[in-house]
Amino acid sequence: MLRFISPSKLREHGIVGMNMRNVRHIAENNPRHLYPSVDDKLKTKILAEAAGIAVPRLLGVIRVQKHVKQMVPFLKDEPNFVVKPAKGSGGKGILVITGREGDGFVKPSGEVIDEHDLHRHASNTLSGLFSLGGNPDVAMIEEMVQFADVFEGFTYQGVPDLRIIVYKGFPIMSMARLSTANSDGKANLHQGAVGAGIDIGKGRALLAIQHGLPIEVHPDTKRPLSELVIPDWVECLRLASSCYEMTKLGYLGADIVLDANKGPLILELNARPGLAIQMANGYGLNPRVDLVDSVADQNLSVAERVDFSMREFGKL
Amino acid sequence: MKNKNKNQLLILISLLLILGVGVSVYKISVLGFSLSPDAKETVWTVEAAVTFVADGGPVEVSLNMPDNLNDLVVANIQEQAPGFDFKSVVKNGSSRGIWTAKSATGPHKIYMRADVYRQDVAGVRSAKGRENGPKISILTGSAKTLADSLIKDARKKGNDPVIVSKELLRLMNQPELNVSSSRLLEMKSEFGGSLGLAQVLLNQAGVTSQRVKGLFLNGEGKKRKIKGYLEIKKGDSWVMLDPAKATEIDSDSFLLWQVNNESMLEVIGGSKSKLSFSTVTTKILANQVAIDTGLNKDSLLIDFSIYSLPLQAQNSFKLLLLIPFGALIVVIMRNLVGVSTSGTFLPILIALTFLQTSLLAGLALFLLIVSVGLVLRSYLSHLNLLLVPRISAVLVFVIIIYLAISVISYKMGSDVGLLVTFFPMIIISWTIERMSILWEEEGPKEVFIQGGGTLLTASLIYLLLSNRFVGHLTYSFPELLLVVLAVILMIGSYTGYRLSELRRFEPLGRD
Repeated sequence: MLRFISPSKLREHGIVGMNMRNVRHIAENNPRHLYPSVDDKLKTKILAEAAGIAVPRLLGVIRVQKHVKQMVPFLKDEPNFVVKPAKGSGGKGILVITGREGDGFVKPSGEVIDEHDLHRHASNTLSGLFSLGGNPDVAMIEEMVQFADVFEGFTYQGVPDLRIIVYKGFPIMSMARLSTANSDGKANLHQGAVGAGIDIGKGRALLAIQHGLPIEVHPDTKRPLSELVIPDWVECLRLASSCYEMTKLGYLGADIVLDANKGPLILELNARPGLAIQMANGYGLNPRVDLVDSVADQNLSVAERVDFSMREFGKL
Repeated sequence: MKNKNKNQLLILISLLLILGVGVSVYKISVLGFSLSPDAKETVWTVEAAVTFVADGGPVEVSLNMPDNLNDLVVANIQEQAPGFDFKSVVKNGSSRGIWTAKSATGPHKIYMRADVYRQDVAGVRSAKGRENGPKISILTGSAKTLADSLIKDARKKGNDPVIVSKELLRLMNQPELNVSSSRLLEMKSEFGGSLGLAQVLLNQAGVTSQRVKGLFLNGEGKKRKIKGYLEIKKGDSWVMLDPAKATEIDSDSFLLWQVNNESMLEVIGGSKSKLSFSTVTTKILANQVAIDTGLNKDSLLIDFSIYSLPLQAQNSFKLLLLIPFGALIVVIMRNLVGVSTSGTFLPILIALTFLQTSLLAGLALFLLIVSVGLVLRSYLSHLNLLLVPRISAVLVFVIIIYLAISVISYKMGSDVGLLVTFFPMIIISWTIERMSILWEEEGPKEVFIQGGGTLLTASLIYLLLSNRFVGHLTYSFPELLLVVLAVILMIGSYTGYRLSELRRFEPLGRD
């Protein structure tokens, strides 16, 4: 039997629905002209580097077909790297090279591709194969993140990341996206990845969901998800929060990865973050949005905003 | 700033609603439009035929035209008179049709045809020249004495003008029983006949009267006689009396042709002129009546509307006007219910196709084309083609699929497959491409969710668009588009939950 929740109960929980997200949060806080700075990952990266925000290092950009042939000599000193479309979405067209095997390039799965495959991937990216609407694109080459092993047992095969919702510069809600066998190693919630709500105060997991339903342990590794604690938590919040000054977007989803050596890095930004984060946390965004609105005109610094959020939104 | 926007939107929505509903209500209550697609009204086609023999010189035929009386509306006056020039003139408040010819010989027949509608609305049209009839002579001498005694007799029954008039007429119709009336009737030639005498008497009794001639429209007939009646002023209205029977007559379907001394027919340069009438009763759609009479009356609302367009353009608008309703359904399904569809307007386009193919055949064909297309498209995926060549290749596939479905179906003895050509192939190609990408990126489940949502929405739109009542409403009341717009704007600013979210967030309600 289908079970429903009443609208009044949802309102009580402060849940933000799709219509409210679109009409209120996004339309009122994210002016359209600011979108390109987050929709184009190359622009985001250049902005971030200028603002001193930690991001995976950009090795080079393939802008025209002529560059494609120069790729291999250019990358001769880089044992591992990532080729990704600047305007791709949903992780499409991201090619990760973890190492070399003779003249071949090794993918995370162990598959080895040759120079030709690499060229074709870059060439396809330029022609817009992976970009929204098939627009011409550029291919970015960036360093590969050395994932911190703190997620050991919390993910399966894939790349874990951290999503922090930043409202008017205040981190208001967060979750870790953990890949599963079901999600085919992807950190995409609706493909079956686990979303674990992270307490803003301490960086500890609150509860977790998969396919919209609460779960206790990681479905593949059986490790209790409540044991998950994010290291460098304050730094993660600081990093996410400072994206507000950088993009001026009032409602923002910051995706953060943890590099073993460099700590938290901003992987990408999203001007239309989804609503599943509320499910992973067990409560809605609205009360926090209202609280931030009441102090938003005080022009607080990044550190002050992070302090405020940790104090006000901490649950544990 | 945000509040200002919100207020602006509220004002805009209210304005649109008031305008849309207001114009509709006006059209229903004043112009006689009907909400029901089946409402029919009676139309009488009245034909006057003038026959005469022309003398050989210049000819002028002048015929009095019918007037609006009560709620009868005369529209679409057409005339037919080969060899004659026609013009319509208004003189002394009465309109006449005048046919002229430089020279004519022999017998001629001139037709004048008019459609008469009943307008079932309040607001009685006043007939022309009703207040200032011809001068009525004042009685003097013995005639006055006779009249006074007759009026005195008549007043015994009561003082109401209608009762007095009826009684006076009755007395005059029975001269053998009343000396005064028989003496007066002897003098009737001085007053222009017995009806003229009756008018003089009524005037003497303080009753305003006028003579009218016209046709009764109820009942059908080839040969219709125009008859004269007497009208008595009672308060602000006129009561029609039959002078021969001294009874009241229901003037409801009386087509007034002539008032007082207007001449009915004048023929100059001809002889043996004769006027005859016939009527035909037909039933036509109420709104057509409203539109025709509106066009006739130069009602701005109708004159500057789709009804003034050529019929072919009107027919295209019949369909175009429905599309916003389809858009409204899409908005409701996506933003209030939370059904995901493939593309915003694909459901509308598919629904329009269903209108041509019928629902079940359309659904079956759509599923067939898209699934065969997806299979073929999945092969293209392996080839890593660039976007434009890939979508073009899909287009070629789609046309091949169309052809195959048509041929196979036809060879199997069914024409259903031929309907496939109604599907817009460019849009189907895009749909296949999008569904295919969705399949690769999000998996088959998402394809079924979106595809199902699209077909569900398209089916609902089809049911709405194929509804006769909705079609009637949009065509007869295009101003309802403003109401649709208002509702769309309202939903556009709706920040509440979607129905699907009550399901999606349901686990949050569990303890």
